[in-house]
Amino acid sequence: MILHILNRPPSTSLVYREALAAMGSTDRLLLIEDGVLGALTSQVRHFQQVGDRLFALREDLVARGLDGQCDASVQVVDVDGFVTLTEEADKTVSWF
Amino acid sequence: MRYGLLVKGAPYSSQAAHSALRFASALLARGHRLERVFFYHDGVFNAARLAAPPQDEPHLYDAWCALNAKHGTQLQVCIAAALRRGMLDAREADRHGKSGHCVEPPFELTGLGQLIDLGQEVDRLVTFAP
Repeated sequence: MILHILNRPPSTSLVYREALAAMGSTDRLLLIEDGVLGALTSQVRHFQQVGDRLFALREDLVARGLDGQCDASVQVVDVDGFVTLTEEADKTVSWF
Repeated sequence: MRYGLLVKGAPYSSQAAHSALRFASALLARGHRLERVFFYHDGVFNAARLAAPPQDEPHLYDAWCALNAKHGTQLQVCIAAALRRGMLDAREADRHGKSGHCVEPPFELTGLGQLIDLGQEVDRLVTFAP
């Protein structure tokens, strides 16, 4: 299982399409930095195929005043959770 | 586990260096080891020894140095990316006939091969880009 890390939201960059195209059926996707905007209900439809394997970094949500505004389908993790996700993955790929 | 980080964002221009340092603190707190941080592309500017940010803002240069002092993390800078951006250590400054230098230990200029080695050496390599 690969952890994909995305720091761009679908509203400003199409790189998420490359990430989605590269993802295997058990891979996970973590949204960080401005990428957390993709976890909002208005944008999360772009990640529909990821299902329950979509995560967003809490610290970056808080920094943008978006804590608690994530779509219910997104699992919010703090930076400790980020480390855990890297532990559980065989490797990580960053998309930017 | 043994970790390596690749930082490609310049300090204070993007969130990359901040994200990398935050991730570094978290992994160390969980008992992992951070072997090396490799600075590439505009990430080489993290090694600027003359960085003097306002006192009430995070001092990224000092934070990198603290990683080295407290945890023995190597701080390696791609020499090709550094030289073309004017990031020279004393030896390279001398070699190119320049006065002054802005890279000094614990940062070290090194070849891109060290990044390949890092990827093979550690259990997890995580990239932070602009």
